[in-house]
Amino acid sequence: MFQPSDLQAIFVTLKLASYTTVILILLGTPLAWWLCNTRSRIKPAIEAMIALPLVLPPTVLGFYLLISLSPGGFIGRGLGQLGIPGLAFSFSGLVLGSVIYSMPFVVQPLQNAFQAMGRRPLETAATLGAGPVDRFFRVVIPMSKMGYLSAAVLGFAHTLGEFGVVLMIGGNIPGQTQVLSIAIYDHVEALEYGQAHLLSASLLCLSFLVLLVVYASNRRSPAMTLQ
Amino acid sequence: MIEVSTTLQKDNFTLNAEFTVPGRGVTVIFGPSGCGKTSLLRAIAGLEPRACGNIKVNNKLWQSAQFSLPTHKRRLGYVFQTPSLFPHLSVQANLLFGARKSNTGTPDFNQAVELLGLESLLQRPGAELSGGEQQRVAIGRALLCSPDLLLLDEPLSALDMGSKAKLIPFLESALQALEIPALYVTHSPDEVARLADNLLLMDQGRVRGFGPVADVLSRLDSPLAVTEEAFTVLRGQVGNQKLAGLTTITSQAGHAIHIPLNPREAGSEVRIKIQARDVSLCLERPEKTSILNILPATVENLSEVTSAGNRTVKLDLAGEKLLARVSDYSCQQLQLRPGQALFAQIKSAALVY
Repeated sequence: MFQPSDLQAIFVTLKLASYTTVILILLGTPLAWWLCNTRSRIKPAIEAMIALPLVLPPTVLGFYLLISLSPGGFIGRGLGQLGIPGLAFSFSGLVLGSVIYSMPFVVQPLQNAFQAMGRRPLETAATLGAGPVDRFFRVVIPMSKMGYLSAAVLGFAHTLGEFGVVLMIGGNIPGQTQVLSIAIYDHVEALEYGQAHLLSASLLCLSFLVLLVVYASNRRSPAMTLQ
Repeated sequence: MIEVSTTLQKDNFTLNAEFTVPGRGVTVIFGPSGCGKTSLLRAIAGLEPRACGNIKVNNKLWQSAQFSLPTHKRRLGYVFQTPSLFPHLSVQANLLFGARKSNTGTPDFNQAVELLGLESLLQRPGAELSGGEQQRVAIGRALLCSPDLLLLDEPLSALDMGSKAKLIPFLESALQALEIPALYVTHSPDEVARLADNLLLMDQGRVRGFGPVADVLSRLDSPLAVTEEAFTVLRGQVGNQKLAGLTTITSQAGHAIHIPLNPREAGSEVRIKIQARDVSLCLERPEKTSILNILPATVENLSEVTSAGNRTVKLDLAGEKLLARVSDYSCQQLQLRPGQALFAQIKSAALVY
């Protein structure tokens, strides 16, 4: 069955996808909320930036991240001054890259969910004495439940399949930065088709199941459709 | 007591309203669509961030030039035009969403459930209710916040005729049971006749008349009195006497008014809506006429001639006021003038509750 190095790659991948999803939900909520409510002139620019990973080759993103994360780079230098070692070729670097890479898959469903909810439930809650925090937890989150499910699943699933960005900034360090997609690539390079099959089929099934969950729950509440 | 003085500048219209509402009773805000009724209500609730002015409720400052209390800190109940239950919560959870300990003047949970007939709905999800049921729950939910002021924005207008007819009795009993003031926005004359204690007339963002409903309706300088829709409301009691196929109402001033047979019990308090165009005038008591209601009256005043060539005549019936819509030609023929005694023929009168 799985070789120890493959198991390590699976573990790194799941850990990366989980960290990325949690960070993106925490980051994406205020961002999507702001995008949904702002009349700022920079809104289109921010939206375009968030959507960039949808069209950009991951290697381009990875390349710029690599440069800026390296000890002499724009981000790396700042981190160095704070006493944090360079992020290139580290797990933290991978998380940062994945957060940027998967951001549109989380922000857009959340933004759509907030938009679909409209202002009326919030106004109603305010007239019923609910303050801003109360409104968020008792109205916004429960009413955007499907949006959150879509966002989390898409963010997670998209990070699972990441290849280009990881390869550029993470390298291929087993147990640290070697993820599933890269392990598969290595197996194919080494003509170990059996191992490549096993990992590929596992990833295929996992991705299908995850998406099935989203679409099945969408069917139950047609109001929130996956974009 | 509620003191409101608010201005709100929107793209193509300015709201500028100033009035004081007594500490009890239903004040209906009445006016054509787009006259600023809803904006006024929203400004009072703090839902219009650009509104400025002074709002004081029970000596508590809600808004002044330097200060605006956020909506969730204003003790109010708000019923929106379209049903706005939280779809993810049951009826019971909706009712309890903003529930505060009842102060005197508003019902507690059990009373509200009984008043609005909600027992059988409590466990159902908010999203599954009909429009009329949702509005009933929304009214209950607003009352359970134990507000100092209840605001209702055309709560019936989004409903079909059947649901409306079913909801009105609930609304009425809920409003009657209140010991807090309510502001009720509508453009329906029937709702004015049925629910209003006080009336605030609005037109193009301004207050055009305010006071007890019977006074405001019969004022000839109000914009309503010179329209085809002019009407007055008389209060009275259902009498014992039943003519064949008719019910007799005794008005507060003692006039007997016959209306089509009505199942209300003798002794119930009712209101009668009488349209000015259904009232005609005779100098002598007409005999042998099909019109049942002929009441002695005195001309109090006449309006200017309208563009349709009519005048509205304000009549005094031993203290009660009635409007009659008469052509200017007839006014000249009868030589109508203030102080003149004559007879008012009421062609039809409608019981509104």
